[in-house]
Amino acid sequence: MEAERIEMLTKRIIPCLDVKNGEVVKGICFKQLKGVGDPPKLAKAYQDQTADEIVFLDITASLDNRDTMLEVVQRTAETLFIPLTVGGGIRSFTDVRKTLSSGADKVSINTAAISKPKLITECAEAFGSQCIVVAIDAKRKGDSWEVYTHSGTKPTEIDAIEWSKEVCERGCGEILLTSMDADGTKMGYDIELTRTVVRSVNIPVIASGGCGKIEHIVDVLKNGEADAALAASIFHYGQHTVREVKEILMREGIPVRMEEGLR
Amino acid sequence: MKAVIVDYGIGNLHSIRKGLEKTGAKTEIVSDMNKLESADCIVFPGVGAFGEAMRKLEPIREIINGRLSSGIPVLGICLGMQILLEDSEESREKGLGFVKGRVKKFVADRVPQMGWNDAIFDSDEEIFKGVPSGTQFYFANSYVCFPEDGKVLSKSRYGEIDYASAIRKENVFGFQFHPEKSSIAGLKVLKNFVEIARGL
Repeated sequence: MEAERIEMLTKRIIPCLDVKNGEVVKGICFKQLKGVGDPPKLAKAYQDQTADEIVFLDITASLDNRDTMLEVVQRTAETLFIPLTVGGGIRSFTDVRKTLSSGADKVSINTAAISKPKLITECAEAFGSQCIVVAIDAKRKGDSWEVYTHSGTKPTEIDAIEWSKEVCERGCGEILLTSMDADGTKMGYDIELTRTVVRSVNIPVIASGGCGKIEHIVDVLKNGEADAALAASIFHYGQHTVREVKEILMREGIPVRMEEGLR
Repeated sequence: MKAVIVDYGIGNLHSIRKGLEKTGAKTEIVSDMNKLESADCIVFPGVGAFGEAMRKLEPIREIINGRLSSGIPVLGICLGMQILLEDSEESREKGLGFVKGRVKKFVADRVPQMGWNDAIFDSDEEIFKGVPSGTQFYFANSYVCFPEDGKVLSKSRYGEIDYASAIRKENVFGFQFHPEKSSIAGLKVLKNFVEIARGL
């Protein structure tokens, strides 16, 4: 039913570039990093494969208190004619403005949204809700999920579902939801978490964490009811192209953008 | 011809500049609104909020409307399209009112509309030359235009309403989608706009 009501909007496939020191890396449960490429090159390659959007996360910024690598953002934005979302280390209104000025179309706020929830409201009012994404890292705790900050290292005792509703009320335009339990396992997205958040809010939800094969993407879009699926390693290591993923999704009856008749 | 991109003082202007330059157009980003008086092609980009943008444009409203009526090519993208209309549910500030009609908030399960949606159009429209009807463009909007004059060039559907995703009145074009973020299809539309603009 949920999917039927918004069927004219295609489901988005979003490769994620986790970036550290200017290089794309993919963490195994946020630890043990391995270099897999140059952000602008990789982003451009994904665009050519019909990626619907690129997410660029400076995965160490919050932790190390460093500024986002705006120069790399700029070089990446330069190669793209699809939307670019940038997150990691964005702490203030000025950081949001700077990131947008460097060529990002949307910014993703995580730790700072928790410590200063007013930041969400301020940014949404100034720049428009459509460019403010709140990233939520959630980990199962009994019957619910707890929000973590600082690249998944600090528990907050905040309930992920309640937090999702709050960011929505504060004017956030989209939620980037990562299951910390699933992330890095390649065993599939956390369907229950995703569906619970999707059904609790009235803004789009991007599911993240756990993608190891195409079937996982089908699962999270159909059963998790996500509006978009984010994945990294399945694309970075050449396991599948974005186009291959979309061909399977299309066969499964999921609406996707194929760029037919344009090339 | 030089496309003058209006800087409301907020948001990302690189994308639209880059998109226009890719088609071979010259561009200039201006934050001094008085410069619009001599512009021969104006682009209102799709960044920011309605109230913020109109507060910046209000002091030179008459000059801008004079330019829009003078027949120069103009492109309004997303918010830049919405400010062409009379008013918006987003803000108390009035729009430019060059196009009659209102901007209303989407009534849908998920707002904003975020992602790639179909645009349905007549294949004879020059602005869509080389692009098949039904092609997806990138949208990121909570509000949508209900124009009462001019011509609707394309329609899209979201939350069970059909709405104008592209309009034209005289030589003023408005796109609810972001051509500069719509990959190959979007670049073709921008190229078509630049070609139409050059021929005027």
